[in-house]
Amino acid sequence: MSASLEVRNLTKSYQRKGHPPFVAVSDLSFEVRPGEIFGLLGPNGAGKSTTINCLTGFYPPNSGEVLIEGFNVHKEPKKAKQHLGVCSQEDTLDTDFDVLDQMIRYGTFYRMDHFEIVKRARFLLETLGLMEKSNELIENLSGGMRRKLQVARALISNPKVLVLDEPTTGLDPEARRVLWHFLTENRKLGTATLLSTHYMEEAERLCDRIAILFEGKILDLDTPEALIAKHIGNEVIEEEIRPGVFWKRNPNLEDVFLKLTGKSLAGGEHA
Amino acid sequence: MIRLAQLQEKLWPIRCVWLRYFDVYRKNWIYGVVTTFVEPLLYLISFGYGLGSMIGNVESNGIQVTYRQFVFAGVVAQSILFQGFFEAAYGSFVRMYYQKIFKAMASTPITLSEVLWGELLWDATKGTLSAATVLGLGTLTGDFSPLGSLIALPLCFLGALLFSSLGLWMAALSETIEQLSYPQYLVVFPMFLFCGVYFPLESLPETLQTLASLLPLTALLSLIRSLTLDFPFQPQAMGVFIFWLVLLLFISRDTMSQRLVK
Repeated sequence: MSASLEVRNLTKSYQRKGHPPFVAVSDLSFEVRPGEIFGLLGPNGAGKSTTINCLTGFYPPNSGEVLIEGFNVHKEPKKAKQHLGVCSQEDTLDTDFDVLDQMIRYGTFYRMDHFEIVKRARFLLETLGLMEKSNELIENLSGGMRRKLQVARALISNPKVLVLDEPTTGLDPEARRVLWHFLTENRKLGTATLLSTHYMEEAERLCDRIAILFEGKILDLDTPEALIAKHIGNEVIEEEIRPGVFWKRNPNLEDVFLKLTGKSLAGGEHA
Repeated sequence: MIRLAQLQEKLWPIRCVWLRYFDVYRKNWIYGVVTTFVEPLLYLISFGYGLGSMIGNVESNGIQVTYRQFVFAGVVAQSILFQGFFEAAYGSFVRMYYQKIFKAMASTPITLSEVLWGELLWDATKGTLSAATVLGLGTLTGDFSPLGSLIALPLCFLGALLFSSLGLWMAALSETIEQLSYPQYLVVFPMFLFCGVYFPLESLPETLQTLASLLPLTALLSLIRSLTLDFPFQPQAMGVFIFWLVLLLFISRDTMSQRLVK
């Protein structure tokens, strides 16, 4: 099956006055297939947002290319982005519109028929539990609702490639679970999803394959199970969770990350 | 025919962005009407009728007109300056920095360049609406030539585009919204006060006259008075106007793109 999203040897650096350029991501290559949820797992500053800004066509890369449904996002941005839905890390909701109008407005950017947009918007709002808020202004929504709306807006055009940058950061457990369920259902429709996260549980639960990103480089890329088996094995991990209290658990992606980088996903050094 | 279709195709995304702004304006139409039309009307009444009745006639460029006529033309240019600059400077800063909708729109098949064109064209539309009100009133009161007022409309649009570009450029350069006060107090207000809106430029010392003649508001005002009050056409004003328009259109979009795209 051909990939919906292909990233080939992507390198991006930022110019800094009086300093050499800062290489944010270096030589990244991966692909996301239809129906797959692909995780970019890494701590803050690993290069996840830079990668996403490049693959949505917003930042030009220094080298490499990004193909969406076969279209180069930097050379044929209109054709490529016709198949792309993006949920940014930052809140980019248009506070001048209410919930439903916002969805409709964004649907027009994809040249969708008005009737089709309204139908799709209502379906997405219903599915994400936002229908009751369809006439509310954005400022009246809770943080969780805003996040869900941003995901819904990214899906208004029924894109073949969905990019989610830290979609559950700051969400309460219930809202997070609703989004996880939604993404799991959405994958069945064949959407290729790129999910950037620093939540190990989220990556392990949702992603078919994961690229572990650290200091702009992919350290390893595989299924969660294969990553754990490769780097940690089957050994049971014993931790002292409180002074004198030990607990045993199965290894997880946090252990893989720690082993590969010497740091935790939260960004701290390993003691 | 094919070319027209291609042009429509090219302009479609910009129209989409423009419609986004128009929809917001339409939804909040009372706010829109108050902010677009009330200010120039207040200036018209206060200076045109209030001060105008005390001053009588003024002479500028060898032509004698009533002060009300002189100020009506000044208020056309001033409303273009204020509407264009303030909508683009503060409005686009909010949309770029707080709402982040430039980036959101540019994540769709609409490119950032098209988003910025849509922004500028909307800001220019608001400036033109405001100027058109004054032109219409001036025509109704018999102060402006009707044909000249009609011909002045496209010029007003270009003038609004010029000052919107200035506003967008300043928004792109400002780190905080408070920093927009610098161009407001150091560029916009001096232009408003010293470019011949309320008194003939000839009243100023020669050095100031020369400086003022290089500013875009002076050039725009000269062209508006040529059309509406039959003042002599000054080719150098057209040159200055086109120079600023082209420069600011390029530099504003380039600076904003550089700010957003790393």
